[in-house]
Amino acid sequence: MHGAIIDVENLSKHYPPDVKAVDGISFEIKSGQIFSMLGPNGAGKTTTVEILEGLRNPTSGTATIFGIDVTRDYTKIRDKVGILPQNFEPFDELKPPEAVEYWAGLYDKKMSRKDIGQLLEKVNLSGRKNSVSKKLSGGEKRKLGIALSLINEPEVLFLDEPTTGLDPKARRDLWALILDIRKKGTTVFLTTHYLDEAEKLADDVAIMHKGKIIARDSPEELIRKHAKLTVIVLVGIGPDGLKEIKRRGIEATTEADGDILVPVNDPSEMRTIFQKLSGIELKVTDMYTRRQTLEDVFLDLVGAKMEEGDLKQ
Amino acid sequence: MSRILADIKGFGRQYLRSKVGAFFTFAFPILLILLFGAIFSASGNQKVSMSVQNLDGSSFSVAYMNELNSTTLVDIKMIPADANITNYINDNSLSLALQIPANFGSRIADGLGSNYSGPVLVTIYGDKSQSTFGTAVAAVQAASVSFNYNLSRTLPLVAPDVQGLKEGYKFLDYFLPGVVGITVMTNSLFSMSTICAEYRQRGFFKLLATTKLRKHEWLISKFVFFSIILILSLLTTFAVASATFGTHSTITLLALVMIPAGAFLFVSLGMLLGVAIKDPESGAAVANAIGFPMMFLSGSFFPLDTMPHFLQVVATALPLTYFNNGLRDTMVYGNTGGALANLAVVLVIGVVFFVLSSRLMSWKER
Repeated sequence: MHGAIIDVENLSKHYPPDVKAVDGISFEIKSGQIFSMLGPNGAGKTTTVEILEGLRNPTSGTATIFGIDVTRDYTKIRDKVGILPQNFEPFDELKPPEAVEYWAGLYDKKMSRKDIGQLLEKVNLSGRKNSVSKKLSGGEKRKLGIALSLINEPEVLFLDEPTTGLDPKARRDLWALILDIRKKGTTVFLTTHYLDEAEKLADDVAIMHKGKIIARDSPEELIRKHAKLTVIVLVGIGPDGLKEIKRRGIEATTEADGDILVPVNDPSEMRTIFQKLSGIELKVTDMYTRRQTLEDVFLDLVGAKMEEGDLKQ
Repeated sequence: MSRILADIKGFGRQYLRSKVGAFFTFAFPILLILLFGAIFSASGNQKVSMSVQNLDGSSFSVAYMNELNSTTLVDIKMIPADANITNYINDNSLSLALQIPANFGSRIADGLGSNYSGPVLVTIYGDKSQSTFGTAVAAVQAASVSFNYNLSRTLPLVAPDVQGLKEGYKFLDYFLPGVVGITVMTNSLFSMSTICAEYRQRGFFKLLATTKLRKHEWLISKFVFFSIILILSLLTTFAVASATFGTHSTITLLALVMIPAGAFLFVSLGMLLGVAIKDPESGAAVANAIGFPMMFLSGSFFPLDTMPHFLQVVATALPLTYFNNGLRDTMVYGNTGGALANLAVVLVIGVVFFVLSSRLMSWKER
């Protein structure tokens, strides 16, 4: 059993006159996990992370890493923490090995060419070591950022929206890299507004909205608590079909696109529901089962969908 | 120390690989020296400042000075009668002076009587390569002609005698320190103000704040980096000017000390501006708004003496004026005392800017 490595108590950050960027949040993060703070733009994720990184002072509350108060003694834990800031852009004119050498120097660390090569290998950038950073793709730049954040071999790694703006392949590459980092024992604090990213990577998810944590658990538990694990989707039956389904005592809802969702609370109920549905004459154009996701959880909790960090009603 | 060296190396690579940085450090001053060398090869006719030592004090010498003043070509400043004029010229880095001899009044009186023994010579000490020299000689000649005509109509009672200063020196010798001054200012001030804004906008400051590098170490590394490349720039520009135009000014040890002092001043000023600037475009605009007037008003391109009086007063408030003057003192006039005084002013202003910028600049968010 891993112990808590990060402990946050009643943390608030207010800006005059009445902006509550972070509003009394508390949480702890266990060692060796990927913890994901999930939420739309402006939810307070980056403010929280920057307080933990010693870059902002909270209005009230405490935040500790390894038991050290980050607002007072951040320098004591600096060697154990790695950081990839939001929208990271590397220094344009430096090649990846030069950037690594430069950054290592700022940590009083000497790295041999072999060490630098191994680090770039770890983040899959060996093939781009002769390109200046401004010529790297968005995903490669973030990989370089992660390489820089790993220079001091941190025990805790903060990744603030590492995949924002990247194409799907680059995102998947970074996911693999993050999972690999976790596999080696590093605790990862990941902020994201991508629901699939949190679901795919995180052991532990805190959903943040308007400065507060509104739900906190593993992705599976969140889905179990706030959505049905599985739904049966009926396409093309229309409002009359919905009435008929409800008349037979089957719970059902309509999606925005008109599809009917029949939730399955327990996998053992699936057979019974299908039997009931087969007794109804429905003009179904398509029918399939779908596993619920954090997207459904988010919709349930916030009442809106999230697209690229923005809320859509 | 190792962190400062690491930052110098990393930042230096970044800076020198950017075409803008390399251009303003090396190509820009060379272009200026080549362009202005070609343009300013002829002298002009502007009102010039002339220091006059009147060793006579008679009503004749006063009348002669009035004639000189009425030419409207010169602004007269007095040199104390008890001063050694060559020392005074040197100590005050003068390029023009006029001496009225002690026996001026008595010899004029003799000439008007029956003991005429040739014209009394008033001595012009001037540098023939300066654009103001021709104007000064013309003013003294005009004053002499008018003085002679008013008193005797026929006899040349007074005539100018020219003593060359810094023989062999060219206009470019005086211009070269100005080019160096501009280069030091543009590289340090313009770069730092935009770098600060860019670092803030791109989150580099936040990133740096998470490393072991401290703010003052970052500031020192920028100062050291700019000092090194600007000394190299000075040597390159000097070599090109010397090879192309045969300039005679010299690179002294004091000039090499002035460069880091100037870099310190303008790096600190750039960082001070960077405290308030939010984005690189604004950084460039603010640096230009401050740097360009300073470039023209601080005697980089032409002598301060040729500017209207109120602009000369403005020039005394500009740090680049002291930097340019200090470089000219040591590289052209050999006036070590003057150079040290200007160096002191540069350092004092630099310390004020450094303290303010390091106090006000924050890498963190509030």
